[in-house]
Amino acid sequence: MLTLFGSALVWLLIASLLGLINSLKFHAPGFLAAQPYLSYGRVHAAENAAFLYGFGVQAAVGLGLWLLCRLGRTILAGPACVFIGAVFWNTAVTLGTAAILCGQSTGYDSFEMPAWCVPLLFAAFLMLGICAMLTFHQRQPGRLYPSQWFVVGSLFWFPWIFSTAALTLLCVPARGVLQATNAWWYAHNFNTVFLGFAGLASTFYFIPKLLSRPLHSHYQAALAFWTLALFGSCGGIPDGAPVPSWIISLSVVGTVLTAIPILTVATNFYQTVQRDLNALDADPTLRFTYVGLFFWIIASAQQIVGALPTVSAISDFTWFAAAQKELFHYGFFAMTIFGALYYIVPRLLGLESSAWCPKFLKLHFWFTFLGVLIAYLSLIVAGVGQGILLSNAGNSFVDVMRRTMMPLRMSTLGDLFVLVGIVLFLLNFAGVCRQACCMARKERV
Amino acid sequence: MNSGPVLFVGLLAAMACSWTGFVLAPQMQLGDLTQTNTVPVGDTLPQNYPLARPGEAHGGAEIYRANGCASCHTEMVRSGNLGSDLQRGWGARRSLAEDYLFEQPVMLGLQRIGPDLANFGRRSDTNGIYLRLYDPRLITPGSVMPPYRFLFETRKIGLFPAHDAVVLPDKDAPPAGYEIVPRPEARALAAYLLSLRQDGYLYEAPPPPQLQAKTNAVSTNGVPTNAAPAAAKPAVK
Amino acid sequence: MNADDPKKLELGRPEPVAERWTVPIWLIVVFGLLFYWGQVFLAENAGGFSRDVYSPYRSDEQVAMANPQDPGAKLRAEGLRIFTATCSACHQASGLGVSGQFPPLVGSEWVQAPGANRIAHIVLYGLSGPITVKGQPFNNTMLAWGGTYNDDQIAAVLTYIRSQWDNKASPVTADVVKAARAENHSGYETSDELLKIPVQ
Repeated sequence: MLTLFGSALVWLLIASLLGLINSLKFHAPGFLAAQPYLSYGRVHAAENAAFLYGFGVQAAVGLGLWLLCRLGRTILAGPACVFIGAVFWNTAVTLGTAAILCGQSTGYDSFEMPAWCVPLLFAAFLMLGICAMLTFHQRQPGRLYPSQWFVVGSLFWFPWIFSTAALTLLCVPARGVLQATNAWWYAHNFNTVFLGFAGLASTFYFIPKLLSRPLHSHYQAALAFWTLALFGSCGGIPDGAPVPSWIISLSVVGTVLTAIPILTVATNFYQTVQRDLNALDADPTLRFTYVGLFFWIIASAQQIVGALPTVSAISDFTWFAAAQKELFHYGFFAMTIFGALYYIVPRLLGLESSAWCPKFLKLHFWFTFLGVLIAYLSLIVAGVGQGILLSNAGNSFVDVMRRTMMPLRMSTLGDLFVLVGIVLFLLNFAGVCRQACCMARKERV
Repeated sequence: MNSGPVLFVGLLAAMACSWTGFVLAPQMQLGDLTQTNTVPVGDTLPQNYPLARPGEAHGGAEIYRANGCASCHTEMVRSGNLGSDLQRGWGARRSLAEDYLFEQPVMLGLQRIGPDLANFGRRSDTNGIYLRLYDPRLITPGSVMPPYRFLFETRKIGLFPAHDAVVLPDKDAPPAGYEIVPRPEARALAAYLLSLRQDGYLYEAPPPPQLQAKTNAVSTNGVPTNAAPAAAKPAVK
Repeated sequence: MNADDPKKLELGRPEPVAERWTVPIWLIVVFGLLFYWGQVFLAENAGGFSRDVYSPYRSDEQVAMANPQDPGAKLRAEGLRIFTATCSACHQASGLGVSGQFPPLVGSEWVQAPGANRIAHIVLYGLSGPITVKGQPFNNTMLAWGGTYNDDQIAAVLTYIRSQWDNKASPVTADVVKAARAENHSGYETSDELLKIPVQ
């Protein structure tokens, strides 16, 4: 499991670095443009791939396995299999990302891994998933806790959407614009359902646990779970897409109906927490998880607003959507995973929570939080500005880009902060691992 | 909800709903799209649409994909009520499913950091494309598009200068005796970009009333009305 | 319980549990409202789930209307209905008439004349006496239909016969028929009287 987490973090670092490089290109378009390997398009695809597959899936699976063990009160089934699966996965992602930088991306957003990589990824995930299901199966008898539903949900969802995408985009390519609809559907499902489930599983676990309070409502959690699965999976088609209007309308309705799970989750946690924010200072996990939840609500709400036709007429294809993605990925998912890791890693290594260096921890939190906030707000300003200016045909395209440059360059600062935060966390992580090694050596002696 | 199988079945049902709505149903409706006829305007006759890309342009699509051009450029024109795409001259009509019949992969793009390219072939030429790829700021000052100089090579001028050597202003020109020539990748990419056009009105996006009036005017000037066919719905197969 | 189970994990702090509070009613109401909105949105914007409906159009009918219309199509459709009900009895559905009895309409120089004035008169006031059509003589009586059909209907049937079969003449508008009716001729007309009327 540590392999999963460790490598996930490394990929997060790589993804952030690539993101920063791309962000810098807006300041100086010639930056690193001499070689094809680091041109904007390839770096963007590689960054996406590294974040989603390198960090996202591994973090989600690692977290899921840990939660299944904890909530099932059982040990991990087939740890060797998990390790091999993780190694396979990392190999596949490494090769795939390198191939993307060499020009082999598939051309689909969020599904950039080259075709030959897909069976490797699938096989690796199958190994991880089977171990997870076996762990789930050997759980102690008792009621299932919401986090377990979310974990099982996410672990089932990924192979289904991944195989559908692989089949309809690569193996037997659908005709014409259907490729685009399938790619959009896949990307939306990956983010909203897969990453959403994984992050919420952590949130549902840690907030009640660390507050030593029960979760307010089992039924509300169930409602949120099923409605997120049902409506969160229907969406992702932009309003101006060259498809008949019924597909777009279904997508809009599905996205707007995700307001149900958002409201349900929000009320559930509001009642659970009941304004008790004192624990925030004490526990890093709670801090990160609260912020993660908060950002999830904002990002999901923005997705709803952005789907409405009146808004999307202005905001489609601008930085607005990029801002939402950034907030969802870094603000919600990454922060929730950070919070979970602050709790999980010491326990995996047999240490206490105090193993983390508190100074790095604090810096990590503030750098990430501020970084995400700066990046998000500046991208929103850029996106809204770009959209409004572009909707007037009198403004030439270049003019509009020039006027949105300022907030765009601000977002680079945000990206830099996030990267620094990740580096600090990795150093902290390495420190904790080293402590564990030292302790293990001492015990052997 | 305490058992694994119940959970599994529920998840499968939820997944099946969205899969049916977004993967299966569109496939059933649009999966057998074939070429269709354009709606004639003025003196034109209905044409077969779309036409497959010629060879070099096909290779250019691969270059477009490999370099991730779709991360900054979209290739779809939105309808008039959803923005200023049509008013900007990015196309005569909105993009439809038929436009992408022969695309593999379909790179519609996700963001407009650069302008839409769906009809780029109608508003550009080879030289302009080479200049823009070599150094976008020569054509559009202030542009954030990165230069793609690795698609070109600087080489000694042979017996005669190459016919497609890029002509640059003095301050960017190569040293004397050298010329900048597009590599095969650049040529393929240019062919692809020039092939990007969504010509002709289709049944789902008919010509605007003022153009239709032109068509009708032609037909009452001697050509009997039932020789100007009403637009036919596209054939299913 | 299962202290001997090797797979069981012993933990310190208890794991979280969930209480059983029900879903608040306002949430259900919001759910219902959103669902209703969704239905309305789909009804208005989904274009009947048709594959030909792209925004800004909202229905198949709108798309069909926005496409170039054949101006004579509606007229011809009505004309066909009237022709089948009334005219085909004598002139036959094929428009070829009956040799010696009822003149053909197909290829008839009367029907395909540049203007429809004369045939409007024939339909409005009827015809009696000898008439030559396509070089063949006919001598019969055609009833007047001006009292049975209004101007639009007569214009429709005239448009029909002028564009059906091999005939390729322009459609007829209702004002032509109206002008012909205004002359208020009484009784059947003869071929000679018709030839004196201008064609347009």
